[in-house]
Formats: sequence, C-alpha cells, structure tokens
Amino acid sequence: MNINWIKVFVAAFLEIFWVIGLTHSHDLWTWTGTVILIIVSNYLMISAAQVLPAGTVYAIFVGIGTGGTVVAEILFFGEPFRWGKIFLIAVLLSGVIGLKLVTENKSDKVKKGVES
Amino acid sequence: MAWFTLILAGILEIFGVAMINQLSVKRNWQTVILLILGFGSSLAFLSYSLQFIPMGTGYAIWTGIGVVGSALIGMIVFGESKDWKRIVFIILVLCSAIGLKLIS
Repeated sequence: MNINWIKVFVAAFLEIFWVIGLTHSHDLWTWTGTVILIIVSNYLMISAAQVLPAGTVYAIFVGIGTGGTVVAEILFFGEPFRWGKIFLIAVLLSGVIGLKLVTENKSDKVKKGVES
Repeated sequence: MAWFTLILAGILEIFGVAMINQLSVKRNWQTVILLILGFGSSLAFLSYSLQFIPMGTGYAIWTGIGVVGSALIGMIVFGESKDWKRIVFIILVLCSAIGLKLIS
C-alpha cells in the first residue's frame, strides 16, 4: 500500500480520537491532546490529498471518522448497539475499499502542467 | 438563522477542500491561510448551528454538503476522475456516514 493511503487511514483513525476528545475532554491535558490530534490528523489528510484526489480523500476521512466514532461510542461509552449501525458501517467500508481500488494518483497530471 | 449558518458552514467546508486541491496545483502561504480560514470558520458556524439544531441532523447535513460539494468541485474545476464507479463509491460512503449520524 502506498504511503499516501497509509496517511489517509492514519488521519482517519486519529480523527476518531479527536472527535471523542471534543465531546469528552474535561481538563487542560485532554484538551491539549485533542488539539494536537486535530492538527496531526488534518495535516496527514491534507498531505495525502496533494497526491490522491481530494474529493476521494475527504470522503474517506469523514466516513471512517464517523464509522469509527460510532463503534467507539458503542464499545467504550455505553451507546446502544444496533444492527442498523453495523449494516451502515459495512456499507461504508465497502465504499472505502471500492474507492481505494478505483483511485489513481493525480501526481502525473500535476507534473504535466496545471502549474503556473 | 441556525439553518442559514449551517449551510454557510457547509459551503465554507467545500471552500476548505477546494483550497486543499489548490495547494496541490500551486503551493503558497496564501492558499494555506485560506485553507485554515475556510475550515476554521466552517467549524465555528457549525458549532453555532448545533446549539439550535439537533447534533445528528446538523452533522449529517454539514457532512453531506461538504462531501458532495468537494467531490463536484474536484471533478469540475480540478479535473478529478468522473468514473461512475468512483461516484458510486463516494455516494456509498456518504449515505452510510449520513445514516450513522442520523441514528446515533
């Protein structure tokens, strides 16, 4: 798997933690951690989107962040388990895998010359 | 008013993603600043709106506007792939994310 896809998935994984941080932070340390995660996660996402199509990267980033947060809320914060949620997460993952399969790097195009 | 600021937050989010695209075309500080301003103001308007609109609904609409808008801008302005498979997969991710936000 190429480095830019790793960046997308790490960015999305970190997003789960800062979304949880936004709702559950309660002191200076947890807020500091949340802010650091926001910066690192968004930096990785933007950096990956310099090579992969930004629309694709952003959809995956938002999608995995949402799905992961729902799973974390069920596992660690006592939100109710529902089969509907699991079904939607499965649909989401199939969409993400599909995007991974059909996406090409845009770096070649950039080199060819939109640069001004 | 809250619905107006929510839609505005969505549009600013599209602007932020467009700036991510722009950065790969032309790398300069102006673009980075516009990118940060776009996402920053988008989140500010979103959190204002969520004081009046239920969280799940508000987030779902904001996500929807952002993902659809940035995919369209990517295809129309920045020459991203218009492959029907890519569009179908983006719609799958989008619909499931919106669904999750509505039922959670």
